[in-house]
Amino acid sequence: MEETGIVTDDDNGSGRRRFLIWATGILVSFSGMIVGIPLIGSIIGSSFRTAKTNWITVGDVGALPIGQPVNLKVVDNNVDAYVREPVIRHLWAVKHSNADVTVLSPICTHLGCQFNWNPASGHFECPCHGSIYAADGTVLGGPAPRRLDTLPTRIENGRLFVEWKQFRSGTSDKVPA
Amino acid sequence: MRSGLLRWINERWPLSPFARLALEEEMSGGSSYAYVFGSAALILFMLQVVTGIWQLFYYVPTLGQGYNSLNYLRTEVPFGWLVHGLHYWGANAMVVCVMLHLSQVYIWGAYKRPHELQWITGVFLFLLTMAMSLTGGALPWDKRSYWLVEVASSAAGTIPVVGETLKRIMLGGGVIGQLTLSRFFVLHVAVASGLLLTLAAVHLVALRKVGNAGPWDDGQRKNTGPFWPDQVFKDGLFSAFVILLLVALSIYAPPPFAGMADPLDASYIPKPEWNFLFLYQALKYFPGKLEVIATLGIPLIGTIVLLLPPFVDDSVERRPRKRPAAMAGWVIAVTLFITLTLAGAYSQPEGFAAPQTSQSTPSTSAALSPSADEKAGSGLFKSQECAACHSIGGIGGTFGPDLSGEGTKGRSGQWLADQLHNPKAHNPSSEMPSFAALSKEQIGQLVAFLLGLKEEAPAPASTGLAPSAAAGGQTQSAPAVTGPHGEPGIAVTIIGSPDHGAVLFEDSCASCHGPRGTEMVSNPGSTHGKVPPLNPINRDLFSPDPKTFVGQIDLFLQHGSRPEGPNPRLSMPPFGDTHSLTQQQIADIEAYILNLNGVNRATIHHPGIDPDLFFIIAAFAFSLIVINLWGWWWFNRLGKRKGKEAGE
Repeated sequence: MEETGIVTDDDNGSGRRRFLIWATGILVSFSGMIVGIPLIGSIIGSSFRTAKTNWITVGDVGALPIGQPVNLKVVDNNVDAYVREPVIRHLWAVKHSNADVTVLSPICTHLGCQFNWNPASGHFECPCHGSIYAADGTVLGGPAPRRLDTLPTRIENGRLFVEWKQFRSGTSDKVPA
Repeated sequence: MRSGLLRWINERWPLSPFARLALEEEMSGGSSYAYVFGSAALILFMLQVVTGIWQLFYYVPTLGQGYNSLNYLRTEVPFGWLVHGLHYWGANAMVVCVMLHLSQVYIWGAYKRPHELQWITGVFLFLLTMAMSLTGGALPWDKRSYWLVEVASSAAGTIPVVGETLKRIMLGGGVIGQLTLSRFFVLHVAVASGLLLTLAAVHLVALRKVGNAGPWDDGQRKNTGPFWPDQVFKDGLFSAFVILLLVALSIYAPPPFAGMADPLDASYIPKPEWNFLFLYQALKYFPGKLEVIATLGIPLIGTIVLLLPPFVDDSVERRPRKRPAAMAGWVIAVTLFITLTLAGAYSQPEGFAAPQTSQSTPSTSAALSPSADEKAGSGLFKSQECAACHSIGGIGGTFGPDLSGEGTKGRSGQWLADQLHNPKAHNPSSEMPSFAALSKEQIGQLVAFLLGLKEEAPAPASTGLAPSAAAGGQTQSAPAVTGPHGEPGIAVTIIGSPDHGAVLFEDSCASCHGPRGTEMVSNPGSTHGKVPPLNPINRDLFSPDPKTFVGQIDLFLQHGSRPEGPNPRLSMPPFGDTHSLTQQQIADIEAYILNLNGVNRATIHHPGIDPDLFFIIAAFAFSLIVINLWGWWWFNRLGKRKGKEAGE
C-alpha cells in the first residue's frame, strides 16, 4: 500500500487502516461473487439443459414398402427455448412388418452429415467422409464411431409415431445432445 | 467569450488536458501517409459503432425474424440500404486496415522497446476485429450465417477435453437454436465491441505515453512535426476517401441477399467470408483426428507467433534491410495467408461433387439394339425394386411419381440418367435413393426402358403427385392460368436469394418449365398442350412490384395447380403443402423467377435519395473539396515563393 502513495503511513491508525483494507476487500469479493457466480451460471448452466423431446406423428404404417429404407419428411412441433414452432425433420424408416418399424436418425454419427441410401449396394453411405452402414444401421466401414442412432417408435392403430432426439456426433457412445 | 467558456469548463472538468493528450505530440520524423491505416481502423470502428446502433433500431435477433428485420431495414427504411452497406463494407475495410496497420508497424520495426505493450494490445485488437467479423456474420441469419455458426461451433467442439463444453456454451445448448443467435448477438454488440473499445483506449494512451516510433532510419527521426494538424490531416484525407469508397461499394456491390437460413437445404454450398478462408482451407489438410491442429492449433500458434516479435527480436536495429529474418517471416506469413485464401476461394467443398454427366445416354450405347436395352432396363427396374415406389400402368408403389408414359413427358435421356445418378440434382429434397452404383451401361438400359414407356396410365391412377384438393374442379371461367386457392405461405415475407434460387430451379422446376423457365414442355391432356413458361411469365401473374408479383406466384408453389383439360399429364405439385421444398427454398425460387422476368425481389422501396444520385453527390462533393484544398495549398506556396523573391 505504501508504494502506491494512496495511503500514507500513520502510526496511530495502522491497525484500523489494515482492518478497513481487509474489510473492503472482503465486502467487494462477497458482492462480486454473489452477483458473478449467478451471472456465469446463467450463461453456462443453461447450455447443459437437454432438449425436450417430442413424439411426432409420422402417419400410416401401411404406406411404407417392406424392407426398403424410406426417407420420410415429418412435421415436428419443436420447442426451442421460448420459441414453439413446427419444423420439418427427415427420418429414415425401414419397415419389417406392419407392427415393426425401425426409424433411424438421419444424422451420421461421425460428424453430423446427412447420409443417403444406396439401393445398388444396399447400404447407407455418408457423402462427407465415406462412412458406410447396413440397412439396420450397423457400421460396415469408414470413420463412423458407432451404429446409426435409432429413434424410439410407437405404433398405434396402424399409425407410426417417432420420438425426435439428437445425439452427440463423433463419440462411440450414444449420448443425447 | 470562447476562452471564457473554456476556462469555466476547465475549472470543472479537464477538457484542455484531454484535448492535449489527444492531439498534442511532436512526432519523431514528422507526419507520414504510412501511418494512416491505424487511424483509419479507429475511424472505421467509430463508423461501425454508429451504423451498428442504427441497425439496432430495426434488427431483432430471432431465428424467425432476424433475416426479415434486416431486409426490412435494407429495402423499406430510407437510407437503410446505406446504413447496412456501410456496416458490411466497413467491417471488411476495418479488417483490411488493421492488417495493413499491423504489417506497417512490423516492417517499420515499431514494435520494439518501448512499444511492446502497444504491439500486444494491437495483436488483441486484431483478434477482436476478427471476432467481431465472425460474430457479426451470424446476425443476418441467412444461409452464410447458419453455416458459419455450424462450422465455428464444430471447430470449437474438436478441442480436446473442453471442446464439447465450449461448443455447448457457444450454442447455448446441444444444437443450434434461438439461444445461439442471442449469444452471437450479445457477443457482437456488447462483449467483443466493448472489449475492442476499451483496448483501443489502452492502445492509444500507450501511444501518447511513449510517443510514435517514427521512421526506421535514425537520422530521419531527428526532424519532428506536430501530430495536430499535420498527421490528422493525412488521416482525415485517407479516411474520407475510404468512406467514399464504402459508399460506392454499398451502392454498386451491395451485400448479397443470401436467403434465409435453412438447415434442411443440402444444396447450399457453404464458404466463409474472405478473412476466414485461410482457416477453412487449412482445415482440409488435417482430416480426422488431426482436425484439431487446424481448429485450435493454427489460431493458437498464429496468435503466439504474432505476440512474439517484441520479445524475440530485442535488437535496436529497425531498418528492414538489416532485419532479413524478420522480413522473411513477414513474407512467408503473408504468402501463406494469401495462398490459402485463394485456394479456399477457388476450391469446391468436399461432398459436393458436381452432378455427374453420364456419357451413356441411350443414343451413345449403340452396341445394343434399343429393344435389347429396354429389355435389360425392364429387368433392372424389377431387380432394383423400383416398383416399390413407382407404378407403371397402375402396378407398383405410390411413394414416387407414376412412371406410366414417362417417354412422353418430354424429358431427355440425359435428364433421366442424372436423376438416377443423383436424384437430389433435380430436387434436393427428393426421397429417391441414388443409383450411382449402377454401371453406365445399366443406367443407359434403365433410361432406354423409361423412355420407351409411351403408354398412358389408366385414368384413376394418373396422379403422379396429387394436385391440391382445392386446385381442381373450380375453373369454369377458363382464364389463361388456373389459379390455385389458399393462403400465401411464409415464403412471401422472405426476400430469397435469386442465385440459390437458380440452383433450386434447375433441380425442381426446369424439368417441366424448361431451363431458365424458357422452354414450353409438352403436357398432353391439357387444353394448352404445354406447361406454361415462366420466362416471360403470363402477364396476368406479372407485376413490376416484387411483393405483388411474389404473392401471385407463391400460391402455385405452395398449393400446386392442375391445368385445364380432360386429363393433363403434368400438374404443378404443391411444393409448400407437401413440404417437398422449405419456405426458405420457395422464397429463393420466387426471387429467381422474379429475376427472370426483370423484377428484383430485393427492390429498395424507400431509398431516401436514389443511390446513384447519392453517389454522384458524394463523389462530386469529395472531388470539389480535394481540388479546392489542393488549389489553396498551391496558391499559398506560390504566394510564399513570390514573397521570398520580393524579399530578396
